[in-house]
Amino acid sequence: MDTAQPHAGVHIENVSKSFGPDGARTLVLNHVSLSIKMGEFVSVIGPSGCGKSTLLKAVAGLLPVDSGTVMVDGMTVAAATKNKMIGLVPQSPALLPWRTVLDNVRLPMTVNPKANANRNLRDPQEILESFGLGAALDKYPGQLSGGMQQRVAIARAFVFDPSVLLMDEPFSALDEMNRDQQRLGLLDFWQSNRKAVMFVTHSVPEAIMLSDRIVVMGAHPGHIAEIIDVPLPRPRTIDVYATDEFRDLEGHVRSTLREVMGQKSA
Amino acid sequence: MRKSQKTNLDRSTSDTSALAVQNASSATGRRFSPLATAKLKQNLSWSTWAPAVITFVIAAALWQVTAIANPYVIPTIDQVWLSLINDADTYWKNMLVTGLEVLVGASSGIIAGFILAIIMAEFQIMERAIMPLVVVVMVTPIVAIAPALVVAFGFGMTPKFIVTALVVFFPMLVNSLAGLRDVDDRTLDVMKTLHASRWEIFRDLRFTGSMPYVFAGLRIALPLAIVGAAVAEFVAAGQQAGLGSLVTIAAAQANLPVTWASIALLCLMGVILISMLALVRKRVLWWSDGAAVGR
Ligand SMILES: Nc1ncnc2c1ncn2[C@@H]1O[C@H](COP(=O)(O)OP(=O)(O)OP(=O)(O)O)[C@@H](O)[C@H]1O
Ligand SMILES: [Mg+2]
Repeated sequence: MDTAQPHAGVHIENVSKSFGPDGARTLVLNHVSLSIKMGEFVSVIGPSGCGKSTLLKAVAGLLPVDSGTVMVDGMTVAAATKNKMIGLVPQSPALLPWRTVLDNVRLPMTVNPKANANRNLRDPQEILESFGLGAALDKYPGQLSGGMQQRVAIARAFVFDPSVLLMDEPFSALDEMNRDQQRLGLLDFWQSNRKAVMFVTHSVPEAIMLSDRIVVMGAHPGHIAEIIDVPLPRPRTIDVYATDEFRDLEGHVRSTLREVMGQKSA
Repeated sequence: MRKSQKTNLDRSTSDTSALAVQNASSATGRRFSPLATAKLKQNLSWSTWAPAVITFVIAAALWQVTAIANPYVIPTIDQVWLSLINDADTYWKNMLVTGLEVLVGASSGIIAGFILAIIMAEFQIMERAIMPLVVVVMVTPIVAIAPALVVAFGFGMTPKFIVTALVVFFPMLVNSLAGLRDVDDRTLDVMKTLHASRWEIFRDLRFTGSMPYVFAGLRIALPLAIVGAAVAEFVAAGQQAGLGSLVTIAAAQANLPVTWASIALLCLMGVILISMLALVRKRVLWWSDGAAVGR
């Protein structure tokens, strides 16, 4: 139903952003344009400091842009946040340590309650159970492993049924084995709750595993170097890692990254 | 294929470890995790408390030896003890007076400091407007302010309340302000994308988040409250007296046992306050003693 609307999803058009005092400003985003359709999973990858987080923050309404427009479901970002249409998963879980897991996930419902009308709010308990946290409902974040905490943060972003999910390297603090588990969990859940997702990552396999498209960014100033389609069939399982298509894609993304970083392509 | 096998293996290991965590904490409950029990055991073992006890015993012995050798400089411990027993009534009355000064003065100073910190944290212009004045008042020696207050308010309780509140106010304000400001940026980002109002951010994030700092402030402020009450009594003994007045009067008469008995009671009040604070802190701040928030 949502996919039918022409404006559904995220539309970033010609966005530029610079930091610093007048006269000594550094351009961080240079005319960036990108669209994420409803139900589409898009990863953003690129060297450190190329402006991935800046772009994500601009879409989240946390940073004003200098020029260009960001629209979410046909609305300005300001209107979209007012309607609670954006779910954010930051780089660290950012849970309230004095609240139980369940109360942490309830937070988005109790904040800005005016925007709760006419939406498909999920049951916090149910969503936590589907993330495999049914036994941890009454625990406190300090009692959970890093991976479990991050899953709580993801549940918190899904629970109020936003149309767009923004994730900034949510798994970067986890060890490699844990990460794979979290990726699959996220993919599983997203499969039955197709939001528009913008997912910032440093990991090439992660980007391929999760995404419909991979946006490779370059730095100085931040720009989109290439957008790579990932035509792997869904639902995906860990078996895709072993396929030839996966390896080809990995080669493609890595060589683009090397070009972006100014190294000789091997 | 190799990769997928690896993942399967890894999944099973992390699953069992998650289960282990679960079992451990569900069996023992939050407040009595195995860690807490171990800590309690450690607190009860002699190696934890014995060093401090030994230090106190040595200090008392040194005191006693010095007191016997110099009878006109300090009293012996048994003289102090006898004075406390014989005049228990007087000491108790004076302790109540000082206690009341500390109670009223400190609680008003604490509340005023915290409320002003909230106002300053929410409205930067208020900080710019009020902070310079606060600093000017706070660098003025309290010992100098006290006599002026006596002139203004007489020898009753009022100047003592004010002096006590004043010394408590500053550490409370500064610490609470730092705590209200120092919230996790990423949690704040999450709140902002939900379009949380300032009130909601205060209610759900800043208020509780500031508590580690507030308790750090209390730890400084409460002992200061006793200093404030005692100093106010030095300056203006008044009809109500109090332990501070007792010290000055007894010292002027060279009555060493009474002087030192009063000092010991002031010290006892401080110990009681700090212990109560530690108990409350444990109940309120159980969540902060990990790496999570605060210092
Ligand atoms: N608030 C700010 N003020 C000044 N400069 C900033 C600010 N935020 C980001 N920058 C600069 O903008 C550039 C891009 O930062 P950004 O955090 O978006 O990079 P990133 O691609 O997310 O990097 P990483 O992969 O390391 O997270 C960096 O050079 C950074 O120094
Ligand atoms: Mg970043």
